[in-house]
Amino acid sequence: MILLLQYTLLFASVLLLVALGGCFSERSGVINIGLEGIMVIGALGGALVMKFLPAEMGAPMMITATILASALAGMLYSLLLAVAAINFKADQTITGTAMNMLATAGATVAVKAMNTAASGGSDVSSDIIYTRARDMFIVRFGNFEFNWFMVVALVALLISWVLLYKVKFGLRLRACGEHPQAADSVGINVYKMRYAGVLISGILGGIGGIVYITAGVSSWKFENGVAGFGFLALAVMIFGQWKPFKIALAALLFGFFRALGNVYTGFDFLKNLNLPSGVYNMLPYIISLIVLALTSKSSLAPKAEGIPYDKGSR
Amino acid sequence: MEQYAVEMLHITKRFPGIIANDDITLQLKKGEIHALLGENGAGKSTLMSVLFGLYTPEEGEIRMDGQAVKIRNPNDANARGIGMVHQHFKLVECFTVLDNIIMGVEPTNKLGFLQKKHAREKVLAMSEKYGLHVNPDALISDITVGMQQRTEILKMLYRENDILIFDEPTAVLTPQEIDELMQIMKNLAAEGKSILFISHKLNEIMAVADRCSVLRKGKYIGTVEIKNTTKAELSRMMVGRDVKFAVDKEEAKPADVVMDVQHMTVASKQHDNDAVRDVSFQVRRGEIVCIAGIDGNGQSELVFGVTGLEPLKSGKITMCGQDITKAPIRKRSTSGMSHIPEDRHKHGLVLDYTLEDNMVLQRYFEPQFTNGIGFLKRGAIHAYAEKLIDQYDVRSGQGAVTVARSMSGGNQQKAIIAREIDKDPELLVAVQPTRGLDVGAIEYIHQQIVAQRDAGKAVLLVSLELDEVMNVSDRILVMYEGEIVGEFDPKKVTVEELGLYMAGAKREGVAQ
Amino acid sequence: MKKKHSSILRFEGVQTLLASLLCILGGLLIGFIVLLIIEPSGAWEAITSVLESYFRYPSAKLQLKYLGQTLTRTAPLLMCSLSVLFAYKVGMFNIGAAGQYVAGACAALYVGIAFHMPWWVCMLAAILAGALLGAVSGMLKTFCNVNVVISGIMLNWIALYVTNMVLSTEGVKNPMSPYTMQLRGVNPGGLIPQMGLNTLFGNEKSVTIAIPLAIIMAIVVWVILNKTKFGYELKATGYNYHAAKYSGMKENQNIIMTMMIAGALAGMGAALLYLTGIEEWETTISSVPAMGFNGIAVAFLGGLSPIGSILAAYFIQHITMGGGNVDLSVYCAQISSLISSLIIFLCAFVAFFKLAIKNHLRKRDEAAAAAALPKKGGDNA
Repeated sequence: MILLLQYTLLFASVLLLVALGGCFSERSGVINIGLEGIMVIGALGGALVMKFLPAEMGAPMMITATILASALAGMLYSLLLAVAAINFKADQTITGTAMNMLATAGATVAVKAMNTAASGGSDVSSDIIYTRARDMFIVRFGNFEFNWFMVVALVALLISWVLLYKVKFGLRLRACGEHPQAADSVGINVYKMRYAGVLISGILGGIGGIVYITAGVSSWKFENGVAGFGFLALAVMIFGQWKPFKIALAALLFGFFRALGNVYTGFDFLKNLNLPSGVYNMLPYIISLIVLALTSKSSLAPKAEGIPYDKGSR
Repeated sequence: MEQYAVEMLHITKRFPGIIANDDITLQLKKGEIHALLGENGAGKSTLMSVLFGLYTPEEGEIRMDGQAVKIRNPNDANARGIGMVHQHFKLVECFTVLDNIIMGVEPTNKLGFLQKKHAREKVLAMSEKYGLHVNPDALISDITVGMQQRTEILKMLYRENDILIFDEPTAVLTPQEIDELMQIMKNLAAEGKSILFISHKLNEIMAVADRCSVLRKGKYIGTVEIKNTTKAELSRMMVGRDVKFAVDKEEAKPADVVMDVQHMTVASKQHDNDAVRDVSFQVRRGEIVCIAGIDGNGQSELVFGVTGLEPLKSGKITMCGQDITKAPIRKRSTSGMSHIPEDRHKHGLVLDYTLEDNMVLQRYFEPQFTNGIGFLKRGAIHAYAEKLIDQYDVRSGQGAVTVARSMSGGNQQKAIIAREIDKDPELLVAVQPTRGLDVGAIEYIHQQIVAQRDAGKAVLLVSLELDEVMNVSDRILVMYEGEIVGEFDPKKVTVEELGLYMAGAKREGVAQ
Repeated sequence: MKKKHSSILRFEGVQTLLASLLCILGGLLIGFIVLLIIEPSGAWEAITSVLESYFRYPSAKLQLKYLGQTLTRTAPLLMCSLSVLFAYKVGMFNIGAAGQYVAGACAALYVGIAFHMPWWVCMLAAILAGALLGAVSGMLKTFCNVNVVISGIMLNWIALYVTNMVLSTEGVKNPMSPYTMQLRGVNPGGLIPQMGLNTLFGNEKSVTIAIPLAIIMAIVVWVILNKTKFGYELKATGYNYHAAKYSGMKENQNIIMTMMIAGALAGMGAALLYLTGIEEWETTISSVPAMGFNGIAVAFLGGLSPIGSILAAYFIQHITMGGGNVDLSVYCAQISSLISSLIIFLCAFVAFFKLAIKNHLRKRDEAAAAAALPKKGGDNA
């Protein structure tokens, strides 16, 4: 039971971070299908820091450095989307899809190259091991493993809410996603705001990536990407109607179903059902399809999302 | 020397192939209401784009208070106190009125948090002062078009703009709202604001403006004092000849009923109330029935219901004796209904298809264009399109294979009209068929519609333009808030009378 | 309009080809830079070995054999790209092709191994399974307004887990390995017939009529899209949903139909691979096979034309096979997927690139027109 709670909170943190990222991007008017890829690259950035920084530096430094590295990696990678979608008015779906494929391929090539070089050719895997660093993120209360990333997610939630609704940045960002011509007509630079939206989604998506790969394991095989979690986060965002607190609730729900897949063997009645593990693995995807089918009828999506802004057409 | 707030002197702006502004001079005095009159394509919007720094003119200069200024972009213009109410409002629907007003000049405290209290007070004070009544906390999507326009005006006032430009502001308003707007404009001018009023409605210009400058085909025709001029003179300046306000047509000879609509109710997509409520009317062979009304009173939904784009909530539609209440669109079309849609880009054309593919949009499935196993007869389609292009004088770059998107609005509309009329319908539904077109094209389209009537077709015309309503139709039905509130003979009713019905000030029990 | 300045650039096809070549060049260049970063000394060798692919093999017979294998794997890739481009014509981004492909593999292998059915029955099953999954996406879109991309991705994962479960059942999975039983062993009739084609490719066993079948399907798709009433309706729906509705087309039915056909194409693609016996399904696989995603790359690289897809599919498969040639003690085979994903990324810029060409041409026209004609005020609308 405690294990279920722990995993629910952890996976919810991942989904919350990434979905908030998606929220910033879409609120500014750019659809970010590439979150999956951003997570992979963010995870790679964080994992490298965890692997190579000396463990002696202490937990606070390690945590800060890891998060900064993931955020930076995710942000830089999201520039690909920003440049293509905002400057070149490229199709955002194709760009995002390409980014997802590119991230997995790129991370695999990079990690394999690193492992191959380090081992002189004997280790050609795409794994990064970060056992010691991972322990620094965890504080044990009895059986419950508290993870500092849960706090990070909570802080991100509060900051997102303030950014979107309490300061002028949010007002402007949301205007760009709803009616960019209106924003432009009062002197708001739509391109700049959209860059901001996409880059913030890169930061949050990147942090989400490192949380995901450190959630249950101490090493990660980068060939596997992040198993569709970026897309689940998009479903969370849609279900949460592009609003931070609703997204948080949706993330908890989806996190719960995802956690079931990890820990169902701990529940006798579930174990007795004797269902193959595949059933539990599918659960979050099936739930999200059902939820989307029930909630998508009247879309609350930002009106101008997905439409490249062209200063000329007004 | 006269004090001018803004002077645009000898402005020339060329685009490849055309001179959009040819040596145009416009001088706006302090505290006056100055009308800018011209047809579509006369160069009004280009001139305004130059004033807002969107285009750089090849020749000429702009002066403010006698000083030459450079305006590089709209921000420059805003900084110099120039504000504009665009024809299509620049408002974020899901924001409040207040958020829309402060957007771009948001008041914040030192930490960057929004401080709306003071802004709200300022807005309330301004709306009191100028009679711009609107609730600052309402969402834009919940308020009327008139209130949205006031929000746009408050946006300019909040920024303390002194030069206010109104781009065709009355197109979307009821007559009462128009009167209120006129009063607001006068109040603003009295407070020392200088107003540029872009319009092609002579009545309004005569009612509110002090002076009027006229453009025609990119050229400056002249500026006149309103008190020394007449409508006839202004319209001569605008079109370069005496405008024939009437359409030549003979007396209607209505015959048997083609379409009979009984107690039709259509739901609205925007709000919970029904957009069309319990409407009944008939259209006969050989007559043009016109649905008049201010935009947004259910005319669009009425057409959707008749043509099958939206299902009816209740009621019955009969066409040529057949019950078509639940018939799909295709069935209605093949049994003799043609539809010139309101929005030619949304419904009327597949813009990325060629002209010839668009010409057969309603008939591609007929045996003359598709063979028995589902293959298109390309040759036949091409020949048919060529025929229509020729017959209806549709002009395009590469003839039948031109992509529709690259054609001018007038020719796109001509293509739709050719397609719909050539179907030889029993009933022609034409919704705002002349919107956004120039005088020549309008005349042509009116002739075509009257010709259809004379050929014994039934015509249902929906129009927002009172001139069109009065001149083309044989019978007028006025719609207000989803109901038909009056039926008139255009020869016996005055525009003023119609206006009262359109604005909901009067209504009658409509006889069948 | 005078068409004096006729330039080869004016042809849509030429623009597309040029754009695709640029994408390939860009992808290769960046791939090469990555190789240089990893280890400069062997980079040139590595990139050429990717490009040469099977030509690296010493004998003509071996080269033919591996060409045969490349073609066998090109066929399903081509089918996936047809699936993507067909849906794209109706305005749907069929990222679900990957899952439809998985469903097809599941159905084909299960029917083939568990029921010992002949190959064409297996293929039919695959087509149906793919179509079913496609139809679900289409219906979710038309009835519940669920974005096809999102539903497609969810269905990809669901299809993967279901397939793993179904193909792990007793009698289907090889008890000794994570793979399914070999079709060649349990049901040779389930293999697509070779009809002598294999003799042309150094007796490579996997060469079957799957290859010509895929090409025929590409031509069929082209004909449907360009020559038939159905194609006219589909494209109209894709370009302008509202106009399609206005003209009385059954726009929702068309969307579901399109997604079904797209699904069927991807499902058939899986049959064309797994029914050749070239490989078995790995029941422990934890990520969706890349074939469907590569189909997206191929569709865009081929300029969204079925015929262009044939060439693009071959090219992508060619370099994917070539990826195995690199010196694995220094580089890794995924360099090929890196290059193909870079190519798709660059494909996103194709529209921009074409627009640039068009603007350039138009400016030239206008300059010419302005020079030729005396100035006159035109009627702009």
